[in-house]
Amino acid sequence: MEKNEILARLNALFIRELDNKDIVLTEATNAGDIKEWDSLAHVLLIVAIEKDFKIKFTSSEIMRMKNIGDVISSIHGRLTKS
Amino acid sequence: MENKLLSIISKIEVLDPMNAKKLKASIPFQDGEYWSRANEFINKYERLLQSMNKTIDFGIECYLKVCADTLYEQIQFAKTREYSCKSFADANRMIYGNPEVMEYYMHGLMLSQFLWVHHYEILKYFSTELIRYRENTVRYLEVGGGHGLYISEAIKLLGAEVSFDVVDISPSSIEMAKSFIVNSRVNYYLQDIYLYVTGSPYDFIAMGEVLEHVEQPVELLQKISGLLSDEGKVFITVPANAPAIDHIYLFRNIREVRDVLDRGGFNVIDERVVFAEKVPQGKAGNITVPFIYSAFLRKKK
Repeated sequence: MEKNEILARLNALFIRELDNKDIVLTEATNAGDIKEWDSLAHVLLIVAIEKDFKIKFTSSEIMRMKNIGDVISSIHGRLTKS
Repeated sequence: MENKLLSIISKIEVLDPMNAKKLKASIPFQDGEYWSRANEFINKYERLLQSMNKTIDFGIECYLKVCADTLYEQIQFAKTREYSCKSFADANRMIYGNPEVMEYYMHGLMLSQFLWVHHYEILKYFSTELIRYRENTVRYLEVGGGHGLYISEAIKLLGAEVSFDVVDISPSSIEMAKSFIVNSRVNYYLQDIYLYVTGSPYDFIAMGEVLEHVEQPVELLQKISGLLSDEGKVFITVPANAPAIDHIYLFRNIREVRDVLDRGGFNVIDERVVFAEKVPQGKAGNITVPFIYSAFLRKKK
């Protein structure tokens, strides 16, 4: 899967999980840019991403996720490996 | 005067924007007492770090490692509704007996006492209420002294004649508590609390965040009861729905905590519950929010 496809799928997932249809993700987007993206929501987002993409992140991958670009890289890495 | 706590949060923001977002949502709204105590704490913590030839950056790094561990455990908990660590033997092997893990764990938890407002609120509750028991306390025990912050508070609040004992299973915890407290009135015992015996009973026993680390919390409470004088008092804190790398016993609600205390032989004198997060309206059904139950206890007659 290409990174732009992952971004589009993540965008739909964020809209659904955070209940905000105005969300437009870019690789630079981080938690500071989206009001609803707090620490509790972050847990639910990771769980939803793992379920949606049928992957499981490692602890160090989760630790490295500072923005959407990092999330895309982790997903892309997982999908490429499988 | 430089606000050291805000400086720490700024550094965290660079390393972990999500974490800083949570801190900035709560810390700026704290009162003057919080800022005064936080400043005093950070000065003391920096002296400890200096004695180790380290800076506050080391403490921040440890704090973020603890947060990362906790986040990973929260994600697993959201999927399974169970804690991943299943036995005390595993926790002892992987964490308490592992100096590398214990070092970052203790430093990270130390900083969380003021960075996480729910931790601070429990510390404040302890400090405020402990004064009530000052007159009747001569022998004081802390079980699982951890980084030493609570016993450090008790030394400030209780009388000069009080003797303080700390029992902890981790050599790393004991060393850190010694460095943080720096007081000759404290005796340290590196021992499993189940094997600890005392010649005369204690008037006050503090046991913060220990019950969730054992497989049989009722048995531990019964052991504590045996170390306590008939009129003695106990302070406990118990995290619930709070996954961490070494949390074993899952308390799911306040009723379950109270039930364990009752079966362990204690009555609640006073209790306080603090939630770790504010849940957005309409989201409560989707999220299990961690909380800390804390209470002052007496033996059941």
